[in-house]
Amino acid sequence: MSVFTIDEVKKTFTNGEVAEEVLKGVNLSLKEGEITALVGASGSGKSTLLTIAAGLQPASDGKIWFEGQNINLMNQEQIRKIRASKFGFIFQFAHLVPFLTVEEQLTLMLDVSETKLKRQEQQREIDNVLKLVEMDHRKNAYPSSLSGGEKQRVAIARAIIHKPKVLFADEPTASLDSKRSKDVMQLIQRLTKTLNITTLLVTHDEEMLAYADRVIKMSDGLVS
Amino acid sequence: MNIAWKEIKKNKVRFLILGSIIFLVSFLTFIISGLANGLSQDNAALIKDLPDGQFYMSTAADETYNLSKIESPIQDNMLNEKKDAVALSIQMGFLNDQNGKQQSVAFVASTDSKLFEHVKDGEVILDRSMKEKGIKVGDVLTNNQFSGKWIVKGFADDKKFSHAPVAFVNIENYKDMYRTDAMQLVFVPGEEKAQAAAGLQAFSKKEFLHTIPSYSAEQMSLNMIVWFLVVISGMLFAIFFYMMNVQKIGLYGILKAIGVKTSTLFKMMWTQMLFITVLALSLSVAFSQGFKMISPDGMPFHLTLETTLQLSVIFLVIGFIGATLSGVQIKKVEPLQAIQQGEV
Ligand SMILES: Nc1ncnc2c1ncn2[C@@H]1O[C@H](COP(=O)(O)OP(=O)(O)O)[C@@H](O)[C@H]1O
Ligand SMILES: [Mg+2]
Repeated sequence: MSVFTIDEVKKTFTNGEVAEEVLKGVNLSLKEGEITALVGASGSGKSTLLTIAAGLQPASDGKIWFEGQNINLMNQEQIRKIRASKFGFIFQFAHLVPFLTVEEQLTLMLDVSETKLKRQEQQREIDNVLKLVEMDHRKNAYPSSLSGGEKQRVAIARAIIHKPKVLFADEPTASLDSKRSKDVMQLIQRLTKTLNITTLLVTHDEEMLAYADRVIKMSDGLVS
Repeated sequence: MNIAWKEIKKNKVRFLILGSIIFLVSFLTFIISGLANGLSQDNAALIKDLPDGQFYMSTAADETYNLSKIESPIQDNMLNEKKDAVALSIQMGFLNDQNGKQQSVAFVASTDSKLFEHVKDGEVILDRSMKEKGIKVGDVLTNNQFSGKWIVKGFADDKKFSHAPVAFVNIENYKDMYRTDAMQLVFVPGEEKAQAAAGLQAFSKKEFLHTIPSYSAEQMSLNMIVWFLVVISGMLFAIFFYMMNVQKIGLYGILKAIGVKTSTLFKMMWTQMLFITVLALSLSVAFSQGFKMISPDGMPFHLTLETTLQLSVIFLVIGFIGATLSGVQIKKVEPLQAIQQGEV
């Protein structure tokens, strides 16, 4: 079932006099419980498409359907609410909050998403997710004492703790070595399946495509 | 979860530095303001400690009190009309003590009034600072212009005029010394607006203070220093908060990306700003009041709790404005920027 539909999305960046059309009318449907991988040369517009889909920047034209609503027509506050409660994000870098412990990163996300849980349930939820990403032994550590792979696992935990509908991952393994990359991809795959999440994955690493259910090639602002 | 507090706890040193800067600057401001008030008190406590009221001097004196002469009939008229009114004169002069040493004083003579010390013919009451110069009750003092002698009757607290200790003398002795029958001033306490008496000019207490030579100039420079300090500290606050915010641009971006409200980020900054500023200011108020107690007696230092609290409120407001202005960046941060910048 398609829960997320990108419909004729266009994006033009204007730099002074020069206008560059980065997306030239992209159509794409994401399916529940599936990882859709977006591949393509650097500069082909993958990140631009992902951030537009995730409501982090507006499209110049087109529609983005999610739960029967066009995100591209929403105001900032409506989009923020959706980002906070229905979307999860993983990027090339973990972008953890430097002054919060691993556990607190997750508490913050639960606060932000306004997931109403009793204290005990919240703790159980956090412990579960930390076990899932195998970081339960470091729950009181600060990001500065974690390795790159560990940080990325915490970032993944933060991306799913509030049970998002859609997970956006932009080159989540680009800063990791190949062993850690595989671990992280396996984790994303497992979470997508067990939590029935809809995942949009951007990568330029051919090896990672093994974990995707569907591979979409992007070139010159169009998908094929 | 209170992320404002978590950040302070994790970055104690950074917030400690910010707090110390606020403490030092506000403490310096309090001390300077205490000195300014102290000097002003030293210059004119005799007048400043009077109740609100109106001073009258002759128009011909051209706002210089010691040139003023209020003729007896006019004076009598005014004293009859207002029962609290008092006629007085102030003259700078010298007292010779028993060892022949000259002491600079301000002679003050007045008609009967609760507002000024009452002294009999041949007696003098001195400001308490004269006691530190070795003068005792019972000492005999003289003056070159005065035919008689004065016996020191006692001391009064905080009676200073034009930086000199006041010597209260009897009105007849005064007339003898300065070969005059007229007093310089009439003071009417409590009277709101002055009505124009013929040939007289009215001054509020504040206006009269400014006719004292040196008072205006002194107060103006000191007040300017205090206000400069307030403005400089305001800018310092703003710059510090600005720098702290700039360091956190990436963090703000990522927090916005995961859905944190901009208003939450502002609240976070305000909480931290309030916490640090209130803590630093409380310390500073406590220290300046402590300084008041240990400051040497000779140092003109006068700082009321009220003044420090007023200044504290001004600091808080300035800190708040500074933090909020520098926080405009928070509003401008695009989540994308932070993500594309790489690791924070
Ligand atoms: N904010 C922006 N302003 C101007 N040009 C941009 C902006 N973001 C991306 N671009 C341009 O859009 C093109 C696609 O970028 P991007 O989506 O990041 O590609 P990819 O992720 O596939 O490497 C590039 O040419 C890039 O320079
Ligand atoms: Mg990219």
